[in-house]
Amino acid sequence: MIAQEAQYRDWMLAALAGDGAAYRMLLQGLTRHLRSYYARRLDSAAAEDAVQETLIAIHTKRATYDPAQPFTAWVYGIARYKLIDEYRRHKRRATVPLDEAADLFGHDEAAEAVARRDVNKLLEKLPPAKRRLVKDIKLDGVSVAEAAKRTGLSESAVKVTVHRAIKSLAEGLGKGQEGRDAD
Amino acid sequence: MRTDDLIAHLSEDMQPVRTGMVARTLLGAAALGVAGSALLMLVALGLRHDFTASMSSFGMWTKLVYTFAIAAFAFWLVERAGRPGADMRRPFLLLGLPVLAIALLSALQMSAPGADSHGLVMGHSSRVCAPLVILTALPSLVAAFWALRRLAPTRLTLAGAGAGLFAGAVGAFVYSFHCMEGAAPFIAIWYTLGIALTTAIGAFLGRHLLRW
Repeated sequence: MIAQEAQYRDWMLAALAGDGAAYRMLLQGLTRHLRSYYARRLDSAAAEDAVQETLIAIHTKRATYDPAQPFTAWVYGIARYKLIDEYRRHKRRATVPLDEAADLFGHDEAAEAVARRDVNKLLEKLPPAKRRLVKDIKLDGVSVAEAAKRTGLSESAVKVTVHRAIKSLAEGLGKGQEGRDAD
Repeated sequence: MRTDDLIAHLSEDMQPVRTGMVARTLLGAAALGVAGSALLMLVALGLRHDFTASMSSFGMWTKLVYTFAIAAFAFWLVERAGRPGADMRRPFLLLGLPVLAIALLSALQMSAPGADSHGLVMGHSSRVCAPLVILTALPSLVAAFWALRRLAPTRLTLAGAGAGLFAGAVGAFVYSFHCMEGAAPFIAIWYTLGIALTTAIGAFLGRHLLRW
């Protein structure tokens, strides 16, 4: 079962009952999957066209969705059909890569959210000042010079602090791993 | 147009979608197809002259039950084929039942003591049977394609084959009221051939006519 199935199916059923807000969230969610699906299979201009064509197809053919069947399989069926259509139109390839519904929904947002939560949890082990520096520089892309200005430290002090903080976090992880192995 | 604008446009003034659109479309098409095929048979071929008596014969019911069962499972297959991502395994597997049944009945009739196996297989109309089944199927084939075009078939050859199978079975069902044959081996071979050829025509046309 694909992770997003329940959420998307709920939105789809609401949309079929006339709920425009649910429909909008559904289409925005699907657009992210469709973009990465077509980006890996078509050149960039064709990919965005294919995304829009698929959204229009989803819209005009929405009455063919059977609530007794998985919604993600329905969307994937349309997405793959539009991909084949695109290949056929440009006679680019006689064969279409074998893939499945999981490839469309494979960009797993749930796993990404878990990873983000794990990083935040790990950072909480640092004292607040160091945590701020690591977060600014390593996660949010703030430059060392800017971070130095903000904190009043020298650039080299910032670098050393971040380096040591990361090292201590890594050691902490290593210990946690050993502890788990010993269990 | 930007994709965000497209989404905003599509989700504006949403109207509820009436449920059962697929079923209504297909049932309407099936009714039109059956009516068209029946009309064509009556006008071009004519009802068999012993029609009333034939309705109490085993051979007539063999034809009617066999072709009706195929038409029913093919209808289900077309319904699945018209929906992206739908599971088609069950109607596919069920199609084996009427075929198995007619094969068993044929074996039974062929192995009866004193059976005229040549007569059971060839009957009196084996040469015209399959072509006339195809002819009778044509109105139903048009109707099934019309219905599928309003749905969203994503495997065009398969969807076309399903439409051809449905139309062929309807054609054979309707043709039963003209045809004088009733032996199971005859039906198993010549009726099935007519249905199979109509399926092949549908499969070929599907790739070209079902694109959307």
